[in-house]
Amino acid sequence: MELNNSKIKIKTKNLNVYYGAKQALFDINLDINQKEVTALIGPSGCGKSTFIRCINRMNDVIDICKVEGSIQLDGNEINEKKVDVVTLREKVGMVFQKPNPFPKSIYENIAYGPTIHGVAENKDKMDEIVENSLKKAALWEEVKDRLNEPGTSLSGGQQQRLCIARALSVSPEVILMDEPCSALDPIATAKIEELIDDLKKSYTIVIVTHSMAQAVRVSQKTGFFHLGKIIEVDSTEKIFKNPDKKMTQDYITGRFG
Amino acid sequence: MSGTGHTVKSYEEEMQSLNDNLVMMGSLTESQMADAMSAVIKVDKESVDKIVKSDGKINELRSIIDNQITTVLVKRAPMAVDLRITISTMKISHDLERIGDLAKSVAKKVKPLPVDLPDELTASLRRLGDLVQKQLKDVLDAYLNKSKEKAIEIWRKDEQVDDLTNLAMNEVATYLQKDKKNLEMATHLLFVTKNIERAGDHITNIAESLYYLIEGEYLEGARPKGKPVESE
Amino acid sequence: MTKEERLKKRYRAEKRFQIYGLISVSCALIFVLILVQNIFSKGSSAFSRTMIEVQVNFDSSLLGLDGPVTQKSLKDAEFYDLAVESLLKIYPSKDTKEERQVLRLFSPDYEYEIKDYLIKNPNKIDQIVPVKITASDDIDQLNKGNFPRDLPEDRRRVSNYQLNIYDNLVEEGKIDKKFNNYFFSKGDSRDPELAGIGGSLMGSFFTIIICLALSFPIAIMASIYLEEFAPKNKITDFIEININNLAAVPSIVYGLLGLGILLSVMEFPRSTPLVAGITLSLMTLPRIIIPCRASLKVVPPSIREAALSVGASKFQTVFHHVVPLAMPGTLSGTIIGLAQALGETAPLILIGMVAFVVDIPSTPVDPSASLPVQVYLWSEQAERGFVEKTSATIMMLLGFLIVMNFIAVYLRQKFEKKWN
Repeated sequence: MELNNSKIKIKTKNLNVYYGAKQALFDINLDINQKEVTALIGPSGCGKSTFIRCINRMNDVIDICKVEGSIQLDGNEINEKKVDVVTLREKVGMVFQKPNPFPKSIYENIAYGPTIHGVAENKDKMDEIVENSLKKAALWEEVKDRLNEPGTSLSGGQQQRLCIARALSVSPEVILMDEPCSALDPIATAKIEELIDDLKKSYTIVIVTHSMAQAVRVSQKTGFFHLGKIIEVDSTEKIFKNPDKKMTQDYITGRFG
Repeated sequence: MSGTGHTVKSYEEEMQSLNDNLVMMGSLTESQMADAMSAVIKVDKESVDKIVKSDGKINELRSIIDNQITTVLVKRAPMAVDLRITISTMKISHDLERIGDLAKSVAKKVKPLPVDLPDELTASLRRLGDLVQKQLKDVLDAYLNKSKEKAIEIWRKDEQVDDLTNLAMNEVATYLQKDKKNLEMATHLLFVTKNIERAGDHITNIAESLYYLIEGEYLEGARPKGKPVESE
Repeated sequence: MTKEERLKKRYRAEKRFQIYGLISVSCALIFVLILVQNIFSKGSSAFSRTMIEVQVNFDSSLLGLDGPVTQKSLKDAEFYDLAVESLLKIYPSKDTKEERQVLRLFSPDYEYEIKDYLIKNPNKIDQIVPVKITASDDIDQLNKGNFPRDLPEDRRRVSNYQLNIYDNLVEEGKIDKKFNNYFFSKGDSRDPELAGIGGSLMGSFFTIIICLALSFPIAIMASIYLEEFAPKNKITDFIEININNLAAVPSIVYGLLGLGILLSVMEFPRSTPLVAGITLSLMTLPRIIIPCRASLKVVPPSIREAALSVGASKFQTVFHHVVPLAMPGTLSGTIIGLAQALGETAPLILIGMVAFVVDIPSTPVDPSASLPVQVYLWSEQAERGFVEKTSATIMMLLGFLIVMNFIAVYLRQKFEKKWN
């Protein structure tokens, strides 16, 4: 088990999540290392999305969802009532399965986050933030001449990169990605994977994916979820070349019933 | 090795076909080896052409297996055990082909040999040949049964192969010292001995590939080697 | 049945359905056209009024002025004698009865019209000037061809003598029709030729402004709270059911509410746009809340999640993202609700907006009527002249409604383009 010996960015302990009476996650203990890509794989409905939504407290918006257990970000507990979720979400950004840019201009899409957090003192500073975010998301060259056009006028792949740029605009430390490429064509997917490769140098990334090949390509550590439990978590190479658990192997080789 | 089959039936069939072809290639190689050894010991010059021709079938199978592996890689992006099976099959088929080639080379060396080959020359050679043939049979059985223990055993026996090789070569060297005019014959015999030893090496390779297929790790440590013969 | 036959049957059914649709639409269009034509034909004549040209002698001695002629002195002067003297000159009359008939050819305002003329043109003092004076309602209707001339005299509103004068004036070219600005500038009047919608127009305007100012913000806030912030429990369900029911309550009930609480208990001034506005805003509230909530509901959750994920608070998410997207639907609903309020008559009658108000209200606390109430009032009058005025007012109302609907469509398109 060759784990990166870097510091742990996110640590969950005995994490249990319930939707009303139904339990969705059972005793999840998972460490996410910093400046690394961790992939979460598993069949549909196994709890991967529920898990990452705990990290930025997005499950709060679902009334019947109850989250018990400890989630620590940089050693600080975030699953507590007194934690300010607005500040948390500045640190932990999210990219969704279907690109969802605001129905505003490209510029305004990126500028929204910094505006509400009061990050930019003047327009020049804001312009800088917008440009940097778009550059980090490898979108600047394609849109620099049309920042005032609506975000929805871009292609699917560009929209997703816009959403990534938007997440980057508030300078997060962690980026959560929930199947970010499932709605995109292979070329757009390749561009996003290239972007993830680049981003992991500066950000901690957790990506939920249905594509085994994608998990192998982009991640350093992989966790296999099944029916709300973690079956195996290890370096990506180990999981895909020689996993310990039979269930893991059955899933990744397509032998699941 | 992995209980339930692939959800996609054609994937399952492809892997099965790969397995079957490799087993067939192994059988062919086995009989080639046996025929070649028998030809040498009996100095049976008529069987040489048949042996040389049969090598073509082994090469053909290698081609088929190569193609199948390429297809599986591009179609299935195999993971874990499937990946190891695919890679190992490729390596094993390569080694089997080499063994087949070596058997052919051995057979070709029968023609120039004298019919009245003295027994003392071939004693150790015969034992070497028997050992290598047994190794080959064992490793093919081990492959069929995916037996890790057998693979390790075969891997360790390479030491014996080396020892017997040295013994056989020693015998020829000793014979040559007594009668220098049989240099040509001695050379051929040495060549044959060396080829059989190399076949043994390839068999050990197969054992290593098999171990990797089963365990996902490589056999640790250096291959046990026999003591080199001291020249006199 | 073979496949081909089934296919043919389907196509025939589709064709039939298309024809039914066309017939329905055509029927509707025909009815609308009939209605419009009816109203227009009756009402268009209200936009002109008959004038009689009279040579007026602005004899200063008849004005009783002492001192120099100034605007003030003119405003204070009595013009009755001057007016009567000039008017009687248009036709010989042999006794006071006939004199009265001559004077009755003109609208009762003749004195003020002559006065206004001189005040506007003070340099015409002591000159004889042709002045156009509004004809009376009977002459106006006669000139517009609404009175049959072949009835016996005692069944006619215009006597033979008056008819003679009229024909004479027509021959002399002294009868003219000009654009009836009185219709827009004047308030209600006993005399139809002097009656206008100025008062009720302002009354409706103030009413709608107050209704909008009260109902729109309250409705929006209520919708946003109920849809986005309120917990989903039995209480909020109960509230939702009641709001839906309120929208269906007959508007006259709101009139009773206005009467009972605003007028009786709180003693607001009767007949004012203030009270009307408040009453109608109560009625309009649920009619804005319902489309507003519906629009809020259809904003996709992906937008909310996107906003939350960059660290927007619930409040910011709702007000920066959800509400703007719900605006097109909300605005449409608002304009339609306001248009309905504009046409309300029953509740306004109950709160007393049936007053006969001559002066045009300048503030919302001045008594006034509203356009639909004015229609109701005029439709009850006997004089022929009010018929055309009633239809003309209906035309104005319809015009208003069409304009409001256009504004709704325009705003909706503008918002949709902006947010898309």
